[in-house]
Amino acid sequence: MSTERAFRFGRAHHLVGVAGLPEPAAPTAPVGVIVLNAGMVHRVGPFRLHVEITRRLNASGYPTLRFDLSSLGDSSAADESRSQAQQVNADVADAMSLLASHSGCSRFVLLGLCSGAQNAHGAAIDEARVAGAIFLDGYAYRTLGFQLRHYLPRLWSAERWHRFISRSLQARASQGDDVFAVRFPPREQVQRELAAMLDRGLKLRFIYSGGVTRYFNHPRQFRECFGRLADRPQISARLFAGTDHTYALRVDRQRLLDDITTWLRDNFPVSGGSNP
Amino acid sequence: MQVEPAQPCQFGSGGSLFGLYHAVAGRARAAVLLCPPLGQNMIRSHRVYRQLADALAQQGIAALRFDYFGTGDSAGASEESDWVRCVADTVTAAAELRARSGCTRLLGFGARLGGAIALEAAPAARLAELLLWDPVLDGHEYVTGLDAMQEELRVDPMRFSTPRTREDAAGQWLGFPVGAELRGQLEGWRAAPAAVPVRVFDSLPAEAGADRYAQLGTDAEVVALSSTASWDVLDRLEHAILAPDLVRAVVDQLRVAA
Repeated sequence: MSTERAFRFGRAHHLVGVAGLPEPAAPTAPVGVIVLNAGMVHRVGPFRLHVEITRRLNASGYPTLRFDLSSLGDSSAADESRSQAQQVNADVADAMSLLASHSGCSRFVLLGLCSGAQNAHGAAIDEARVAGAIFLDGYAYRTLGFQLRHYLPRLWSAERWHRFISRSLQARASQGDDVFAVRFPPREQVQRELAAMLDRGLKLRFIYSGGVTRYFNHPRQFRECFGRLADRPQISARLFAGTDHTYALRVDRQRLLDDITTWLRDNFPVSGGSNP
Repeated sequence: MQVEPAQPCQFGSGGSLFGLYHAVAGRARAAVLLCPPLGQNMIRSHRVYRQLADALAQQGIAALRFDYFGTGDSAGASEESDWVRCVADTVTAAAELRARSGCTRLLGFGARLGGAIALEAAPAARLAELLLWDPVLDGHEYVTGLDAMQEELRVDPMRFSTPRTREDAAGQWLGFPVGAELRGQLEGWRAAPAAVPVRVFDSLPAEAGADRYAQLGTDAEVVALSSTASWDVLDRLEHAILAPDLVRAVVDQLRVAA
């Protein structure tokens, strides 16, 4: 059993979030998990994904907080002159302080989908309290291998051509209209930042969905993108081919939840805890 | 008028229902209970509900937004969502709003299924008047439409690189598991003439028919909005519903009436 508590919090009392706290008698988890907004969707996540993730993690003994960043969902603007990145980092710091005060955790894993993954990456660069991150459809870059896997099969398959063309036409029709559209920084920069995170001891999990085949289409691509960085033991990647970007089907969400829970248990085990 | 930011709250049995109370400075001159739709429409309309509640609070009208059991931040899994429980939760939320605002006379607002739930809950929740935005009035027709959209989603090339099996997509509507109970309850539901005054804010496409609100009774007043809301369009499934004219129309209405 766990309990959820709703809070208004933050340096300007401007953020709204829901903390999930395992029973006080439960074994202490080494980390709390903070879930960031996916695109413009409020803290419950696409198709309530964030509610399902946080409740599953609470049942496994991890305290959680799903919350809205400044100006998203139910949170207000902080009325301060900072860049958007600085504001996100300050919001994440506020979220960690809140969860720390209610759970006793001093270190945290950030989890985000799409722009949430980007924000988690940005916050993890400098924040000492971050122990790890789970990036759902986070950074990756097209490689030669990607191009070959993407275009070669189309050469001989009429059905693939048909699907490719219809996807392209629909994408063109809704250009500039993608609610989850994000812009990636240069690969070298991301590679450098990830290396620095690993040097600080962070543990990182990248999970790609079948909804981002426009830039990631094979598990091998992770190494093609990031080179020897990908061989370090604290970093791993997985591709859920066939799913969509936001896990609209229950069966896909369950697979994702299983992966997240297993990764957390392997990397941040709850001491003396049972595995429900 | 300067208003306080909405206060998150938990109420109902064991604090199982999540809500956001929009207080007003001083004594509220009226209070509106905002009943959300279900499923993806709830997520898509979240922004409009917040904007509406903020706008009402600026007019001195208190508002409560809330999530039914099994939806949003409230307790319960999505598959536990249930029509009877939604109606009961609306009654509970009305009591919460009365206690917080000090207003005994409440108005109800609801979009799509939120409008249907408000209609059903109005007598027990003692809602004095209803403001309904594109309310669902025929459950069977609505269920048929959701089934068709779910089938469309299963094979949507913009979503899946290859079509998904029927088994993978079964028992769900547009991202949300649906229990057999809720499905059956909705299929058998049809709006009866409203027991309280109703004002409908209509942003459905014109082809939906001019007389579609006739079953609410001859007294129901219909306000046509200039924009068309993209409720049932698969391509817009993950886009927020934007409706500035809805917020303006409701606030204008209540500025005079409440």
